[in-house]
Amino acid sequence: MYRLNYQGLEDLELLAKIGEQDRQALGALYERYGRRVFALAVRMLNDPVGSEEVTQDVFMSVWRRGASYTSKKGKFTTWLFSIAHNRTIDELRKRRRDRSRENADIDDHLDVQSGDISPPDAAVAKSEYAKIRAAMQKLPTEQKCVVELSYFKGLTQTEISTKTGQPLGTVKTRMRLALKKLRTALSNEIGAQA
Amino acid sequence: MTETKDNKESNENFDSRFENLASYVLGALDHAEERIAVENLIERDPEVQAEFEELAEAAYLLAITVPPLEPPASLKNRIMDMAGQSVPTRLVEITHSDEKENGRTGAPWWRRTFQSGIAVSAAAAVLVVVVGSALGYQNNQLGNEINALRADLATESVAVADLQTELSKTLTDSENRVAAMKSEMKVMEEDFVATTEMVVHQEEMVSQLGIANNALRQALSDQNWLTYASTKEGYQVESWLAGNTQQVTTKEPTASGLIAVRIIGNEAVFQVHGLPQPQPGYAYTLWLMGNGDPRPVAQFDVSGIGSATVAFLLPEPLRFFSTVVVTQERVNGIGTDPTGTMVLSSQTN
Repeated sequence: MYRLNYQGLEDLELLAKIGEQDRQALGALYERYGRRVFALAVRMLNDPVGSEEVTQDVFMSVWRRGASYTSKKGKFTTWLFSIAHNRTIDELRKRRRDRSRENADIDDHLDVQSGDISPPDAAVAKSEYAKIRAAMQKLPTEQKCVVELSYFKGLTQTEISTKTGQPLGTVKTRMRLALKKLRTALSNEIGAQA
Repeated sequence: MTETKDNKESNENFDSRFENLASYVLGALDHAEERIAVENLIERDPEVQAEFEELAEAAYLLAITVPPLEPPASLKNRIMDMAGQSVPTRLVEITHSDEKENGRTGAPWWRRTFQSGIAVSAAAAVLVVVVGSALGYQNNQLGNEINALRADLATESVAVADLQTELSKTLTDSENRVAAMKSEMKVMEEDFVATTEMVVHQEEMVSQLGIANNALRQALSDQNWLTYASTKEGYQVESWLAGNTQQVTTKEPTASGLIAVRIIGNEAVFQVHGLPQPQPGYAYTLWLMGNGDPRPVAQFDVSGIGSATVAFLLPEPLRFFSTVVVTQERVNGIGTDPTGTMVLSSQTN
């Protein structure tokens, strides 16, 4: 009997299978991106248990809404991680409102050990991570700061303006410049990731 | 330095359509209505869409700066179990299309199912069970959908309420600004009226000053002021040297003068107007004649307009002299008789 090799399917092919209620396709996507989604949530929430819930919500969202994905929403990975990021930010702000916990600094998380990753994945991840981190390090401090506060800390632009004492317009400009520089520096990496 | 340049470039290329895109991508917008506005822009503006995709890809790069972490194995099992209890949104469409592909489109599914009368009873029994299960399942799904819609509605309601509050605040601000502007305009109008009045007043003052200036010029050229000046201090004019009297003999037709004598005592003032400047080395000399030898009583120069006022002591009352003469004599060279050019002479009264 023919057995479909889900690991060999492209992301969009797996999404099509999800539209056909194929749970194995969802499992394949989880195997492909689950660790990164979970890591992002841990990075932002600093809470593995809460991050499991977030990861679960993200993949259930893919399960329910995956069939409605179109290329108009950008590349699949972009779409997937925007869902993950938005869901984590919602959780982060909810917790902040409850004043239940504080986040640690970004550099604490950048040094998280990836001991659970399988060796080949770890090598690839280390290579990608090194390049992207190098690109991040090249950003001017002010630009890096607003990106870290917004993307990883979940602060709004007004909160960043208040916290740093920078005018709101400057915060917006720095966010945009940082993203564009990062995009330019790693345009080849994006192609490889997509 | 680099960022200053970047900012400058960014300001030069500033486009308000892109203003909130990066914040949207980074999840940093403050209000739901801002997110909705950005999403609408992305939907309808291809340039914004392109910029959004570029920034979103950069945000994805931020996500993968975090080294992957292995979640607990139980997480995948939970997700797969939940997926088994939930249905992707396209499931219903797929079922219908499958029916069409199988060539069963000639009649509705329920008509096809019940075409055989024999099968009706059995089918009815099965139908009750199937429909019951399906309805229960569907009911559960609908319940979930309704809950999700309620949650969305609640979120939207909050956003709408925020928007209404914001609009109300904006409207109030605008009304206040309009009121303030009206007030400022009123003040400006009042200032304008006051300024106009001031200008008119100043113009009137300038006009009056002009008139006064002309009057002063006239008075300066009018020898009556001499008379006024002399009589004011207790003098009376006893000898006119006016050009329009027959008593005057003059080679200078514009010249005129008078001698005013103080009412008490022997002090006198000779005033003259309209004389030319004397020749170099010469000065004007006033002589009293007709009572013995000529008496030089004063030597004087004239001002730029040919005027002079000279005080002198009368050797005897003026009525004892018959003639007053003005000549040009050498400076410090006055003799016993006039020798120089006579410029003005007159009989005394």
